[in-house]
Amino acid sequence: MDKRKVMPLLIVEDSDEDFEVLQIFMEDMAVENPIYRCTTGDKALDFLYQPSGEAAAANVRPSMILLDLNLPGTDGKEVLVRLKQDQRFCEIPIVIFTTNADPSVVKFCYRKGANGYLLKPVETDRFEKAIQAFVRYWLDTNIPPDWIEIAG
Amino acid sequence: MRQSALRANSDRLQQDHEFYPVHLIGLIQPHGLLLVTEGADWLVVWVSQNTDIYLHAAPQDLLGQSLSRFIAPSSMTQLQQRLAAGVDRPSYVPVTMGDRHFDGLVHQIGEQVILELEPVDAYPVVDLAFLQDEVQQAMARLRNEPDAIAFLQAAVQEIQALTGYDQVLAYQFDGNQAGSVVAEVKPAEAVSYLGLHYPATDIPELVRQLYQQGMVRFVPDLTAPHVELVTAEHVSSEDSVDLRHSLLRGVDPCCVEYHQNMEVTGLGVIALVKNHQLWGLISCHHPTAHYIPHAVRSACKILGQFIGAELTSKVNQQALNELNTLKAIQADFITSIANAADFKQALVHPEPRLLDVVRAQGAAVCLDGDITLIGNTPALEDVEPLIAWAMTDVDSDIFHTDCLSHEYPDALAFKAVASGVLMLKISQLRRYLILWFRPEVLQTVNWAGNPEASRHETEDGQVVLCPRNSFEMWQEMVEATALPWQPSEIANASALKNAIVGIVLNKADELAQINLDLERSNRELDSFAYAASHDLKEPLRGITNFSNLLMRRNAQALDEKGLKRLQTLVKLAHRMDDLIDALLRFSRLGQTALHLEPTDLNAVLERAIDVLKAGREEHKTLPQIQIPRPLPMVHGDSVLLTEVFSNLLSNALKYTDKAEPVIEVGHRMTDDLTPDLCVLYVKDNGIGIPTHHLQTIFRLFKRLHERDSYGGGTGAGLTITQKIIERHGGRIWAESTPGAGTTICFMLNFYKN
Repeated sequence: MDKRKVMPLLIVEDSDEDFEVLQIFMEDMAVENPIYRCTTGDKALDFLYQPSGEAAAANVRPSMILLDLNLPGTDGKEVLVRLKQDQRFCEIPIVIFTTNADPSVVKFCYRKGANGYLLKPVETDRFEKAIQAFVRYWLDTNIPPDWIEIAG
Repeated sequence: MRQSALRANSDRLQQDHEFYPVHLIGLIQPHGLLLVTEGADWLVVWVSQNTDIYLHAAPQDLLGQSLSRFIAPSSMTQLQQRLAAGVDRPSYVPVTMGDRHFDGLVHQIGEQVILELEPVDAYPVVDLAFLQDEVQQAMARLRNEPDAIAFLQAAVQEIQALTGYDQVLAYQFDGNQAGSVVAEVKPAEAVSYLGLHYPATDIPELVRQLYQQGMVRFVPDLTAPHVELVTAEHVSSEDSVDLRHSLLRGVDPCCVEYHQNMEVTGLGVIALVKNHQLWGLISCHHPTAHYIPHAVRSACKILGQFIGAELTSKVNQQALNELNTLKAIQADFITSIANAADFKQALVHPEPRLLDVVRAQGAAVCLDGDITLIGNTPALEDVEPLIAWAMTDVDSDIFHTDCLSHEYPDALAFKAVASGVLMLKISQLRRYLILWFRPEVLQTVNWAGNPEASRHETEDGQVVLCPRNSFEMWQEMVEATALPWQPSEIANASALKNAIVGIVLNKADELAQINLDLERSNRELDSFAYAASHDLKEPLRGITNFSNLLMRRNAQALDEKGLKRLQTLVKLAHRMDDLIDALLRFSRLGQTALHLEPTDLNAVLERAIDVLKAGREEHKTLPQIQIPRPLPMVHGDSVLLTEVFSNLLSNALKYTDKAEPVIEVGHRMTDDLTPDLCVLYVKDNGIGIPTHHLQTIFRLFKRLHERDSYGGGTGAGLTITQKIIERHGGRIWAESTPGAGTTICFMLNFYKN
């Protein structure tokens, strides 16, 4: 089995509808990676800094984060800045997944260390294509920073 | 015996009047005698030649002898006491010589002691107590006079009452030391000198200096022959006697002739010294010989000093009152400017205030290109070059003149309203000025005779001063001159400048704050548009995704109708998505900066055509677009202009019923008034627009047809196009014949090297 298949993916997404469609399209692509979902920015930070329950037991550390920007409470931009400034988490690739097309926000995210910026289209076909492109590149092709550790 | 050095050269008296050393004249008036002694033993070294009249002794009998030989021992003792106390100005000593009694005046100048004697028995005795009372009452009356001119009028009356002169005048000197008569008392039949001016040259400089020291001068009889001072060989250490402080000093012939021309025989002059400056003179005239006893002369001197001192407070009080009025206007003015929302309006309204603050009759307020005229001013086309001159040729921030044409000859054209100008430069960088105007005062200076007549040029070009022969009024019209600007008015203008600079700075701060607020609100609006579009799109995405999932995965559970309705649902959601995008695009257009650059519209059009081609389905080819002549270069944002052309071309292609639409893109010149603008047009032979819709087509989301006809669309294209053109400073409009076609025209600025 490809070692990549076991890399945990953290999805920070408040919209149940978007998450459900995301899951469906990932299932269609037979994504096997364990997926953890946080519905707010604060929960995402807690997941990483003060893990509890299942995540704590498994001592989960995500290899990849898919981050929505428009979140209740602490928003995606703040989560991005916190993680990219932290020595322990800064190497985890973070791909922004949002409806926000504001060029200044795009610029901001890259400046703060985002590794990709995907727009959520309204059209289903294009939405599906965006998910497929993400899975193929970030989950199937790309080598994450903790690759060797996992392989070992 | 010999004369004094100067007497030997009397020709010079006529010349150099102004610089003539009157103190070395070597002559005294005949109503007294004069003795000069040197040394501790009072050796007589000079005497007037009239000693035999008063003392029954010839001059040569006195010269070289000690004074104590001729004078009563008691008088000698008094003289010695006076001298010991120090007398640099004549000091009164009663002197008895033989059987005669004299009013004696003694003073020392250099090594010489000068003793002047006037016989007391020749004139009636003065009651000193009565005189003292007179002077005190006069002073009390004068103190009650409130204003300066009334005070001077009262002063000449008091002097006349005290001295019995026929005519008494008060002169005031102006900045050029010319005098004018400001108060006068005279017999009804005498010529009035009130208001007449006298040139500065009428009073020699040395005499002026002596008057400044508070001198009084009395000449009982200008026609009486003078008496020479004489000395003997080897007796005096000096070859002349300095008579500058002597009351008996002879009158120089110039002065004699001058006053005789005025038909004056008896003369008295009292200096008016205000704050150590010679402010004016009181001049007393009598048609016949008029002797003033010593006691009365002393009283006049005291009264003169009192008048000078009082003048200080009277004149100052008058100036102070005026100053207070001006200050009040100024304070009111500055407060209202500071509180005004519109700085210019506050300056200009109410009109009289800007004028009152410096007592002007007209003003021009220039704020860069904007010139406002208030009151009586030159025409705008005269004010503009004046301001240009002021900006380049006037260095100081505050400038004033009562004769503008001296500095700016063109001002002669409008001297009637603006002979006087007071100018305030508020900013050196910007054309912020206030100019105040004063009209020409056709000032008639009534000279007492032609002032030039007292100056003559000799053949060798030397200027010689002579007594004028005519004192008939000689009028001089002073043209192109306004009333002078007073120091208090200039100070007011200067204070106004400081206030305005402060206010302008405050306004600049406010403006900076507004800019900051505006910037923030623009930023907020920008992010609001994105946030709104983001939040609107999320549910929309849910609708399309779930509808599509239903159609894909649960199709078997739906009948055809159900499937169709789901498709409609998706289509509507897509339309909503397009509308949100158009709204976002439109809101951002107003805020992002334009990248203006020289732009070749031919390249822009080519790019727009490429965009259209890319968006079309493969089987549909683009019709040929006609371009009658190459498009011009314009000043614009090439990306936005590409959007303009692609929107207009896309409309031209959409709204047609022709199988082969004809589209033309061209340009034409505007009228001569706007040579920098060109009109561009996109013309089609499509369905056209009804006249009453020619305006509405530019409204956001406004469509003239059913949603899906003519290829659909959001109805935002023309609105966005209009916004782009307006942001370029141009305007856009439609011309159309329904059924025949539409021409959309818009204006842009030519690019010119």
